[in-house]
Amino acid sequence: MKNFIKSILLFISFSIVVYLLLIIFWGNYIPGEYKKNLNYEIGSNGHMYSRLQNIKDVNNVDILFLGSSHAYRGFDPRIFNRYGLNTFNLGSSAQTPTQTEILLKRYLDEINPKLIIYEVYPATFLSDGVESSLDIIANDRNDFESIRMALTQNHIKVYNTLIYGFYRDIFRTNINYKEEIVKGDDTYIEGGFVEKKLQYFEPTEFDEEAWYIKDQQLKAFEKALLLIKKRNIPCILVQAPITQAKYRSFSNNGEFDDIIEKYGAYYNFNELIELNDELHFYNSHHLNQNGVEIFNTKLIEMLFVKKESTNAQ
Amino acid sequence: MLFNSIDFAVFLPTVFILYWFAANKNLKFQNLLIVAASYLFYGWWDWRFLILILLSTIVDYSIGLGLSKEKNKSKRKTLIFISILLNLGFLGFFKYYNFFQNNLIAAFTSLGIELNPRSLNIILPVGISFYTFQNLSYTIDVYKEKLEPTTDFIAFSAFVCFFPQLVAGPIERATNLLPQFHTKREFDYSKAVDGLRQILWGLFKKMVIADNCAEYANLIFNNSADYSGSVLLLGALFFAFQIYGDFSGYSDIAIGTARLFGFDLMRNFAFPYFSRDIAEFWRRWHISLSSWFRDYLYIPLGGNKGDTWMKIRNIFIIFIVSGFWHGANWTFIIWGALNAIYFLPLLLLNRNRKNLVIVAQGKYFPTIKEIFDIGVTFSLTVLAWIFFRAENVSHAISILVEIFSKSLFTMPYFEGWDNASAIKILIPLFIFIEWSGRENQYAIERLGLNWPRPVRWAFYSFIIFSIGMFMQTTETPFIYFQF
Repeated sequence: MKNFIKSILLFISFSIVVYLLLIIFWGNYIPGEYKKNLNYEIGSNGHMYSRLQNIKDVNNVDILFLGSSHAYRGFDPRIFNRYGLNTFNLGSSAQTPTQTEILLKRYLDEINPKLIIYEVYPATFLSDGVESSLDIIANDRNDFESIRMALTQNHIKVYNTLIYGFYRDIFRTNINYKEEIVKGDDTYIEGGFVEKKLQYFEPTEFDEEAWYIKDQQLKAFEKALLLIKKRNIPCILVQAPITQAKYRSFSNNGEFDDIIEKYGAYYNFNELIELNDELHFYNSHHLNQNGVEIFNTKLIEMLFVKKESTNAQ
Repeated sequence: MLFNSIDFAVFLPTVFILYWFAANKNLKFQNLLIVAASYLFYGWWDWRFLILILLSTIVDYSIGLGLSKEKNKSKRKTLIFISILLNLGFLGFFKYYNFFQNNLIAAFTSLGIELNPRSLNIILPVGISFYTFQNLSYTIDVYKEKLEPTTDFIAFSAFVCFFPQLVAGPIERATNLLPQFHTKREFDYSKAVDGLRQILWGLFKKMVIADNCAEYANLIFNNSADYSGSVLLLGALFFAFQIYGDFSGYSDIAIGTARLFGFDLMRNFAFPYFSRDIAEFWRRWHISLSSWFRDYLYIPLGGNKGDTWMKIRNIFIIFIVSGFWHGANWTFIIWGALNAIYFLPLLLLNRNRKNLVIVAQGKYFPTIKEIFDIGVTFSLTVLAWIFFRAENVSHAISILVEIFSKSLFTMPYFEGWDNASAIKILIPLFIFIEWSGRENQYAIERLGLNWPRPVRWAFYSFIIFSIGMFMQTTETPFIYFQF
């Protein structure tokens, strides 16, 4: 029996080493279609790599934006600049509260914003967060928080990609990587924004569905808010507009609003501004640049009104 | 608790350590631990199912004792009748109540009579078809005086609920498994290592082959109206590998797990897709069920004795009952009948026992004729699987009509086919390994045993890596759990 236990422990150690080596080999030499559970894409969709490189030059901003693609495609720093506001957009693809928490731990003190605008798209609360984790692993440095994120996610693709990510970090294989500013229809704008070439949404119908919130994401959301609160940074929760066709297909928008309102100042722009599905969106849930202009201007107006009323008090 | 879950990955080593370190001093403790672990394992799905399995255990244990004391033939007959009635009654109620009710309503409706019976929301207890048959093997064998009834309730409970094979077999014979619960198990290094090797291969079959094939089989079967005959045939092929990988993978994990605890379970699969005729296929596919039906249904019915009509009747009964055992759906019944039709010519021409040993024994390659025979047998099997997988009979027929149309000769293409590169390599690789190991109990039983240890371990590690690289990211239950 002792021999058996000894052999098992030895085999497990041996196997771990072989597994790590095979992940490195697979990641480096095997074509993508054979990497079902390894998805390391540096410079993937959403210009996360450029955004994180950009962060090095950013501190003491007026506003920091957080959230999913609705954030990095929805808050344009150039519009805020016109009103004298210096901003940075830390949104990332399908960013769920789990990843928001990690990004805040890594960068909040560095950026040191005066205000945080946190975009809360309901879909990110029901997502498992795998897509966003892979995005962060491939485009950011990996550390103990990445391991914690992988354990929370407990997903084989995240584990494999993280192993490969650590290898790339340790051997500094990304050091010469340069991400293109323009990729297809997307252009990276200094300050974390990604501008989509002007396109228009072709209306379609959506089946009725309902939002639901994963406990795991709600807990991470609370932790992220706590990190912000501890630093006495005011935070505004915002739901960026999506097409009315899509928005109205969800039967429980009110319920979601009720939950989020409990966590602080919250504005659901689907209820606050009137946009045209065909003119102001490029797909069912992303604003085009015309829509961004209207949304951001309205948000800035509200911020100034809020500031004035605070000052008056 | 699924074999391919994190829960089981924690459960198995824990029970293993307790079994060999805390309970190894005496047989009673070993059996008691197995019962406790098995109840935990089974109750993980739904604790209410435990009541049924406990009831079943008490009834069959008592009937076994009753049979041992009773010498009067008619009273013995009554006892065995009670056992069969209760066991099949439980099974019938939980598994077939809704089927019979729906068919009865449909029959009366066609006669213009409206029926409004109470509908019951019956949950099918996991593994009921398996442990019911295992219990029946005990009482029938005791009745036939092939087996001494046990007086050890704990040992009998452990026999009924032994967790490695409780939910999907192999359906053990009391004559094989029960005596093993009466003997104290001693740890055997090579047996345990062999068990782990078989578990590893079972996990590979399930998590890499079956689950990846399932992705495409489900896509094609669930949208069959959108596809050409060639794609539908591809879907049936994917399902053939899915069900083989899934069920034989499960059996490998079950047998391997039992070996870790010092038990030898019966073999359930013996490379069935290398069979040269349907009779050989049925000697190699789900062996524990086929042989159960042979011993407890086919032979008592007269087997292949008697006139031609009797033989035909018996073959149809055994295959149709076998189909119906799988599920309360006409598709399974037709699947069984189809296999009976395949089997009949062999029986009537007395050629059903022509291929008793594995194909190309001692050789690297089969002959052209063997390749042809394997191809024909496999094709027949794949066509029958269409009924097994389809939602209903008309669904299966619509698929078959499309397959036997001109569209069979188009290039197969479906959304996702271009991304299916991995499975296009994994299936041939899997067939190659299975072929290489076909003379063993399972494909990798002896593969690499002569290699230096680091090379052998690297091979096993590569299998683990393949699982990590190609497994599905959501937990997928075993197909046979639903039966």
